[in-house]
Amino acid sequence: MSSEPAALAHHFESIEKQVHAERMGMWLFLATEVLLFTALFAAYGVYRFLYTSAFAEASRGLETWMGGVNTFVLVTSSLTVALGLDAAARGQGRRSAALYAASIGMGLVFMALKAVEYRHHFVHGELPGMYYQGHIPGSGGSLFFALYFLITGLHALHVLIGMTVLGVVAVKSWRGRYSASYHAPVELAGLYWHLVDLIWIFVFPLIYLI
Amino acid sequence: MSAPDAAHAGRAHSHAGRYVLVWVGLVCLTALTWGLSRFHIPGGAGVAVALGIATAKGALVALFFMHLYDQPGANRLVFVTSLVFVVLLVGLTLLDNATRFPLANPPDSELSPGQVRDAVLGTHSAEPPSH
Repeated sequence: MSSEPAALAHHFESIEKQVHAERMGMWLFLATEVLLFTALFAAYGVYRFLYTSAFAEASRGLETWMGGVNTFVLVTSSLTVALGLDAAARGQGRRSAALYAASIGMGLVFMALKAVEYRHHFVHGELPGMYYQGHIPGSGGSLFFALYFLITGLHALHVLIGMTVLGVVAVKSWRGRYSASYHAPVELAGLYWHLVDLIWIFVFPLIYLI
Repeated sequence: MSAPDAAHAGRAHSHAGRYVLVWVGLVCLTALTWGLSRFHIPGGAGVAVALGIATAKGALVALFFMHLYDQPGANRLVFVTSLVFVVLLVGLTLLDNATRFPLANPPDSELSPGQVRDAVLGTHSAEPPSH
């Protein structure tokens, strides 16, 4: 197809080497993303250790079913991304685009549920830091909600970015820009989305369950 | 087991069947960790169980959805290195807090933790121990 010479940058010998470099660059970036979230998880761990009962009480006040449904939604959106890559690898650009669009739709469902949750917190004065007006005495409640909004907010930002990236790639897939032999952007966008899913897999038990 | 999707996409080296299996595993583990959380396993065991299940789910996503199982060694090394630093960052930070000890002065002395806190905050939460 005509996409291979167009995709090959002049400083790479072959398309295989270029794809290897692209993939490794993506993994390096994902490693930095893991560490970005780990800093917040470490802060959460420390304050959960120091304010155990306040954190447990604040966590019990969350709607567990919303976190659970959102876990199911994100895991399923990861499946459609994986199947979309499978279609791209066999040169089925339109099928790939449709599956990525399904993932974007599930990302919207995730964000909608998150918005309902945030609204609930705002109405009940469960705000971070000095703005906390909930019922938990001491600093535990305000610390929990500071970390809650930092972690879920940063994650939601990643969901938005992921949906944008999936959308760009899906449009290009639909227009037949990729082929069975070159579809690296489809793969890399999928990797990013899987990482967003992977992080939520840890956010869900940490914030909602324990 | 495979969904109709897997059978349809069966030719040309498709991973669709495996993806659907991984998804079924992820959904089952999500239901499991959710169900177990309702029993309020005492002490640190509940945290360990929840994090253990999350790690299993994360491994499924990383190995199969993200294809880490058939990546070249360099890419695996990058990701595993980040996990080493996750353990260091979370583990050592928690260890610091876990090994601190409160002031060991007698509880009714003027240098007990409660008295120091009252002095710093200017509060009088506890009755003075003696006249």
